[in-house]
Parts: sequence; structure tokens; C-alpha cells
Amino acid sequence: MTKTSASRLAVPADTRSSARFRSETLAVAMTFVISIILVIASGFISPALGSWSQVYTILTLASFLVVVAFGQGLVILIGGLDLSIASVIMLGGVMVTAWSGSGYPQILMIAAVLALCAGVGLVNALGTLWLKVPPFIMTMATGIIVASSALGYTSGTPRGVTPELFTWLMKSEVAGIPTILIFVGLFVFCGAMLQGWTSFGRRLQAVGTNISAARVAGLSVSLPVVAAYVISSVCAGFAGMMLVGYANGATLRMGDSYLLPSIAAVVIGGSSILGGRGSYIGTVGGAVLLTTLGTVISALGIEQGWRTVIEGSIIIAALLLLNETFMSLLGGPARR
Amino acid sequence: MTFSAAKETGGSRAVPVGRKGGGAVADLLRNGTFIVAVLYVILFVVNAALQSKALNINSVTNLVNNAAPLAIASAGQALIVISRGFDLSVAGVVSLTNVLIAAYPIKGPLGALAALAMALSVGGLVGLVNGFLVVKLRMQSIAATLGTMIITQGLALVILDAPKGSVADWLADEMTDRVFGYVPVAGLVVLAVVVLWLIARRTDSVVGLYAVGEDEGAASLSGVPVQAVRMKTFVAAGLLYGLAGFMLSAQTATGNPNAGTPFLMLSFAAVSLGGVSFSGGRGSPVGAIIGAATLMLLQKVLFSGGVSSFYTGIFQGAVLIAAIVFSGLISKLGSRRGMT
Amino acid sequence: MTNMKSLVRGAAAALLGAATLAGLAAGTASAEDKKFKIYLAMSYSGNAWQSEAANIVKALAQTAPYDKMVELKEVISGTDPQAQIAAYESMIEDGADGIVSFPISSTALNRTIKKGCEAGVLFFMYDATVTEPCAYNVSYLTSGFGENSAQALVNELGGKGKIFLSRGVPGNSVDQRHTDGAMSVFKKYPGIEVVAEYYSYWDDRTTQQETAKALAAHPDVNGIWAQAGEYGAIQALKDAGKPLVPMTGENSNGFRLALKDGLKGVSAGSPPAQAGYAFKLLMEILQKKRELKPMNIEYPLPWVPADQVKVCAGDKIENGCNVFPDGKVPSSFVTEVFNPELLPELSLASALDGKPTPGATIQPLPADVKQGENEPGINCEDCQAPADLYHLTKVQATVQP
Repeated sequence: MTKTSASRLAVPADTRSSARFRSETLAVAMTFVISIILVIASGFISPALGSWSQVYTILTLASFLVVVAFGQGLVILIGGLDLSIASVIMLGGVMVTAWSGSGYPQILMIAAVLALCAGVGLVNALGTLWLKVPPFIMTMATGIIVASSALGYTSGTPRGVTPELFTWLMKSEVAGIPTILIFVGLFVFCGAMLQGWTSFGRRLQAVGTNISAARVAGLSVSLPVVAAYVISSVCAGFAGMMLVGYANGATLRMGDSYLLPSIAAVVIGGSSILGGRGSYIGTVGGAVLLTTLGTVISALGIEQGWRTVIEGSIIIAALLLLNETFMSLLGGPARR
Repeated sequence: MTFSAAKETGGSRAVPVGRKGGGAVADLLRNGTFIVAVLYVILFVVNAALQSKALNINSVTNLVNNAAPLAIASAGQALIVISRGFDLSVAGVVSLTNVLIAAYPIKGPLGALAALAMALSVGGLVGLVNGFLVVKLRMQSIAATLGTMIITQGLALVILDAPKGSVADWLADEMTDRVFGYVPVAGLVVLAVVVLWLIARRTDSVVGLYAVGEDEGAASLSGVPVQAVRMKTFVAAGLLYGLAGFMLSAQTATGNPNAGTPFLMLSFAAVSLGGVSFSGGRGSPVGAIIGAATLMLLQKVLFSGGVSSFYTGIFQGAVLIAAIVFSGLISKLGSRRGMT
Repeated sequence: MTNMKSLVRGAAAALLGAATLAGLAAGTASAEDKKFKIYLAMSYSGNAWQSEAANIVKALAQTAPYDKMVELKEVISGTDPQAQIAAYESMIEDGADGIVSFPISSTALNRTIKKGCEAGVLFFMYDATVTEPCAYNVSYLTSGFGENSAQALVNELGGKGKIFLSRGVPGNSVDQRHTDGAMSVFKKYPGIEVVAEYYSYWDDRTTQQETAKALAAHPDVNGIWAQAGEYGAIQALKDAGKPLVPMTGENSNGFRLALKDGLKGVSAGSPPAQAGYAFKLLMEILQKKRELKPMNIEYPLPWVPADQVKVCAGDKIENGCNVFPDGKVPSSFVTEVFNPELLPELSLASALDGKPTPGATIQPLPADVKQGENEPGINCEDCQAPADLYHLTKVQATVQP
């Protein structure tokens, strides 16, 4: 049974039509502008803020979210949701710590752990495709199972060695620039290309817009879905490894604080939670905005309750700002 | 063509009841609410078999008291999901109402009434704000409610910076007690919500709700006042979250600024278990209520079955998946042609 | 094709369901009378502290003669107070003799605990406390971590400087008590300025990230007062290329090793050993070897200044050693999980894996039990705090305000 609606019929499949391109770019640019404003404004809170070193700090801290939000964005693009990423981040971190230093080459171990994470993504995808379990429940359930299994496997204390590759990634510098920033730049470029400019990306978008129509048009639906969930889990696992490199250790709750922000970054970045529309650059903007906001807010010398209220208000304000721009340019149907 | 009956049973879209064949039994099998009720009964029987004391009146009362807050909150969440939205503010509203009731306790039955009024007002107000953001300012529901959730959580933290305060005795004692020796008061409150729903079901607003969730464009073209319907849905959901916070306060008898956080994931799980589809336009809050009760009962069943330590999590995840697959299969049984 | 899919789905559901039922059937323990039924009721799980605490209780329960006397079951209810309420209710229904627990809320569980006490169940809470009078609280909370560590930091800084406050979980009474105690000292010194206060959720990683943010705003910090997760603060300082400033924190192995290597400060804070102490007290009462009315029992505050750090040679804490060599345990491992006086039966394997020490037998506890002070909202309801609640027990002020 196809779902059509007056507003949806008007959405063009080719994202390069000029009007859409302009408005989306503008909305995405807005997220970065807001971040920059926040950084400059924070200079009024403390003289050391509003500086390049603060920007470096923010970008480093945002790197984890940028990686995770890519995968989450792909899953949301096809109309799903990945609630298992918190556990898979932990899985990546804990297992790479446990298996490194076991004598086998580092690269092999890292690949093995990423394969394990990909397996979780595969389970998620098959659950939604074959067992017809809604993505919300499927990924939530796998998340709970993975977390509990890790607790049993480690008896509560993850042990092992931090892989040198990730210590190098997170802590070293290349030609005076922190390696992690170079990595993030490359990752964002590749991700944006993959999602926005390849036929693979367009296929994902088609599946998300109207899964039945995609089927009718002869597109294989299973492959994009599997790919999206697998990429999401691999990204999450990789982010876990990055966290291990950053903090020199793994803990069983290390992924928890990235779940809601990953969804928030995707939504703030302009993607529709119902699928079919979204750009990765927007998501990156959302991730940077959230990290910047968090950093600036924690510098405010007021009690935590009010800090949280201000944070929530700024998020709403940012969302409105992004929406108005979109609205006034197209003068059309609302984003839902 | 009537939307309501077909939508609510969770049956296929836009096909009037009866035309799919199979008669009343098949309709029942396709009904998401019925399926989750069957699931609940099965779990209850298993629980009673494993733990002999499960059938005594104290255990049953505990069960009802425990499930009531989540059940009521999930009913509210179901309304939003039916309209094809997400409401994250449930966590914030429950926390905020809980800390308000514990920080400003008023004695006696009139005090409880005042607390109830306060809880409902807070919930309704947040619902209004959500509705305004989504309807007038055209924000995505997940985005708007993310913002309101963070703000209300912050306000809760401002009012109570740590778990403290105590709820008025009358409220805590009476709302967790029984009337006529057998009927848990909390159960009556949930029943009241169900009755309200059964009455509201026939109204234009609810019929409109299903239409909007199913296909907003078509509903608008058919003359459904989409904006008004969405606004009313958010307010109704907010009121229910406030009521849930009220019942939670009765159970824990104390204030906790983080009281509502577990409700976020759990309310969605209950809604899904209860047969409400995330694509909108299908399912019933009653299903969500039973779904919530099932989730809470599952904890008990696993306990009685001797599942302990980290295995509990593994079983919870597995049973959740099994339950959804099970409902899907039963639903298929009721359709001769096996429509997706 | 549709039939095939239905068949697959049916098989999957049936398999999952059958596996679950099989698991449940196997799990239903046969009633073994005469054994004490003890439940280990946890809420949080998945950090080193919680796991070590649970592991030592499990190890003790398997040590002779308890291995023949005790049926111990571990239940993890997560961060939802309602889930822990439900868990307590199930345990009471199941006829538990005793419940050793880390309560998720100091007040929300009271009514259920009261019902349990009336049914004859003994409740022993460790580390976190409840205000219900019929429960026993075994906690170091009353021993003044906040104020003592704050004074030590002030002494190191000579009474002036800019400091960070790395706290725990917002909206939590333990975090509040620690911070209130610390602030009572900091406020006395006009030269001490708290330039940043953030919540690290008692987690190394979060501490590292939050400290990094604070350093971006205040690179000229002079000292850090931290609750659990302090090792992350050290990492943040190193990441920013800053020299290590004096720090006070809790008991992670990594922090203590840093103290040995030149970091100035004190390691104090929450000992997972409290769980073992609580369990042994419970057992002695159940065996009628001790008579104790419900009360607040104080566990002594661990206190290891930088000049008293000593590396352990083997797998046991003995001869006054108080930290394990690098690599033997992760840096997030909490070292105060042992206590040669109260818990001589434990070794490293007990803390890491929950295994009993071969050849060990349960030793009796010292007869004296220290009473903890009243702290309203933390371990008692209608009570008064003593006038000198924040008095110092471990250090004296070497600098006057």
C-alpha cells in the first residue's frame, strides 16, 4: 500500500535542482554560523575563550560525534533509527582493547573488531527486513543484548592494551596540525560524497522516501538497508576505538552519552526523522553546533539546572532559525 | 469511508472492516491491542507458575502500582506516534511534575487534588508549547520535543538539585492502596484513562487524528483541521504525562530531578509492543498501556525464572524481539492474503 | 515467497521463545532449605567500581564456609528507581533472608524497604545510603571525603589559586554531599577561586572531556578537586601539554601511580570494599554471631597522600602497599577494594573476576562498628545534622585563610 501525499509528490528526487540546493546549503551554513557566533560570544564569558585553542578543543571533542552521526544519518535516511550505537561504540572500544596486545598484528585485530561490529549491524538490518521488527525495537533490543553480553564477558572490568594506531590518531600532529582534525576533514569529505553525490546515496534516499515505490521501480531494497545499518555499526565501533585512543582505556558505559546527541545532530542538520531527506554536511554542522554549545554552556558559572535550560532554549532557537530560512526561501510545505 | 475503526484495530490501511474477510475472529487477530493483551496473559500465567505468591493480592497490587506511571505515559506517547510524531518531552514532564509535587507537598485529600491539578497544568502547558512549535513554527516533532525535554529537565534540576523532598502522606498512601480491599487505586486511575479514550474515540478530533497520522495531505484535502488536531494531540499527551508524574510521585513518595529519564526509551518500547505503528495512523493507546504493563511484568517473569546478573539484559532484548515477531505472525494469521 | 518468509519468521519466533522458556526452566532453582537466600541488588552496572564491589561479594559468598551456607543471586536493575522497587518487591516475595544493595535513590525505595523489614528481610546498603530507618547503611559518606580532600588541596596550594571542581552526577545526593563538604572549606579562603565546575558523571572519559573544555577557558588553572574519574583529568592536562597541577581525587590505580611519579595530591574517596564489609556484617547477624540494630555504619575514609604511595609486589594488598604496578590492572581499576583488616579473604582475582581465593576462609570481623553521623536526606529522615558536620578528620589546615 503506497503512502502518497500532496506535499510529498512535490519532492524532486534529484537533489541538484538549484532551488533546493541553494536552500539546503544555506540552512547547513547557518549551523556553522551559529557555532561561530557561540564561540565568539563565549569570549565575553572568559578571556581565554573565543580563541583558536578553544576551536581545536571543540573540533577534537566533536570528532567522535561526527563519525557516529554519519552512520546514524544513513540509517535515518532510509527511514530507520539505530538505537544500538551506544552499545556498539562500547563494543568497539572494549574489544579492541581486549584483543590488542595479544600478539597478533594490530591492523588484523582492528579489522576483526570492526567485522564484529558490522555483524551487529547486519543483525539489525535483517531483523527489520526479515522479521519485520520496527527499527526502534530491533536496535534497542540488540543494544541491550550487546551491552549485557559485554558485561558478562569482561566481568565488569575491560582489560587490555590501547592500540597504538588510535593513540597516534588522537594525540599526534602532522605538520603542526592535530592528526585528528585531518582525519575528520577527510572523513567528512568522503561521507558527504557518499551520501550526497553517489548513486548509492540516492538509492538510500529513494528507499527512505517511499520504500514501496522504490520496490515497484525495481530497486533492490535489501542491499541499501543492510548497507546503512552495517555502516552505522562500523562507524560506531570505530568511534569507540577513537575514544579508547583519546582516553587510554575502555569502560562499559563509554557509548551512552552519544546516542541522543547522534540523533539530535542529524535532526538539527536538517534531515527528516522520517527518512528520505538529509545531507551529511548538515549533520556535521549539527554535531559541531551541539559540541560547541556544550562547551560554552559548561563554561558558564551558574548552577546546572539553569545551564540545562539555556542549552535547551538555544537548541530550539537554532532549530527555528534553520527552519525559517528554509521556509522563507521555498515558501512551501513544512519540514516534518 | 470511515477511518477510525480500521485504523485503531491496527489492520491494513484504508480498507473498511469486514472487507478483508475472515469475519470477527480475523479482525481480532489483526488487532494490535488484542495481541499484546494475549502476550500479557501468557506472561502472567508463566509468572504465576514460577512464583506461587504472584497471585496474592499484595503482589498484584505491587504489579499495578509499578506499571501505572509508565502505562499512562505510554498512552500519551501513543497519541503522538499515531499522529506520526515523536514526543521526547515525556521524560522532562514526568521529572518536573515529580519534583514539584515533592518540593511543595500539601496535606490531605484536597492537597492531593491540588497536586493533581498542578501536574495536569504543567503537562498541558508543555503540550501547548510543543504543539505551538510543531504546528505554528513548523518544526519536526522530534526536534521540538527534544528542546522542550531539555528545558523541562533543567527546570526540574533547578527546583530540586538532588533527590529529596517528600510527597504528602495522603497522596502516597491512598494512591498506592486498594479500595474495597481488592481493587488497586492505581488500577482505577488507568481504567479511567481507558474509559476516557473509549469515549473520545468517536469524536471528530480522534477520527481526524488517525487521518492525519495516516496521510496528512489527504486528510487536509478531506477537510480535517490538521493544525487543530495536532495541537489537541500534544496537549492531551502532555496531560497524560502530567498524570503519569503524579502517579510516580505516589509510588516513590519522593522527588527526583531525574525521575523521568527511564520513561523516554520505555514509553516508545511500550507503544511499539502495544501495536502502534511508527508510520502513523494505526494502533491504540490501550495497546500501549498493556504494552507498558507487559514490559514491567517481563522484569518479574525473568526474576521468577531465576534469570540473574547480566543474563537479564540478554533475555529482555530477546523476548522483546520475540514478542514483536509473535504479534506480527498472529496479525498475519488474521489476513487471508498476507498483506504487509 | 511470502510463505517462505512467514516460515522463517515463525521459526525464529519459536526458537527465541523456546530458548527463553528453556532458560527460565533451567534457571528456576530447586529449593534448598537451610541455605540463606541473599540477593545482591545492584542498580548501576558497567563501571569498574560497581563491578569490583559486586565481584568481592560474589567471591566472599563462595569462600568457605559461606559457600555451603549462602545462595547468592545478583540482580541488576539499572538506573530506573521503579525497576529497583520492582526488584526489591520480587526479592521480598521470594523470601529473601538478606539483601545487600546499592540503592539508586536515597528516598524512593523507602516504602518498599519498610515492607521488606516487616517481612523479616535484612537490608544492607553499601556506599549509597537510604533514609529508611529500618535499613543498615554501610558507607564512607559520613567520613567527610569532600571537606578533607578540599583542605588537602588548599594546603598544597598555600591557600590561594584557581581551581576546577570535577563533580559526579547532577541531581545525586552523594555528589551533593561531597561538593557541599568541599565548598565549606573553599569558601573560607578568599584566595581560592573556583573558576570551573562541571559534571563528570564519575567517568574517566567524561572527566577528560569536561576538563579539556575547562582548560580551553582557563588554561592557567592551579589545582583540581575531583570526584571519581580523576584519571581523566590527568589525561586532559597531558593532552593540553600542561604540567600536572596538584590534584585530589578518588582511588583509581592510574591516579595513584601518577601520585607516585611526582603528582602532588591525595587519593581518597569511595572504597568498593564497603560491599564486602556490608555482606560480612549481614552474614554475622544472620548466623546470630552478632547483634546489631539497624544503624548507619561508617566505613573509614581511605587516605593516601602522594608520599605514602607504595607499589604492591604481588596480587594482594599487604605490607602497607596501596597501588598495583602499571599493566597489572587498568588505570580505571579502583584500588580500595581490599582491606587487610576487614576483608583478608580477598585477592586480585576476587576483585577482577569474582573468584574466591583458594584456601581462604571467612575471618570474623572486629567487634566494634563505628556509627556514622546523621545527615538528613542522606541516611536519615527526621534528624538533625551535628553542628560540626564538615569537621576535618584527616588533615589540619596548614594555611590560615
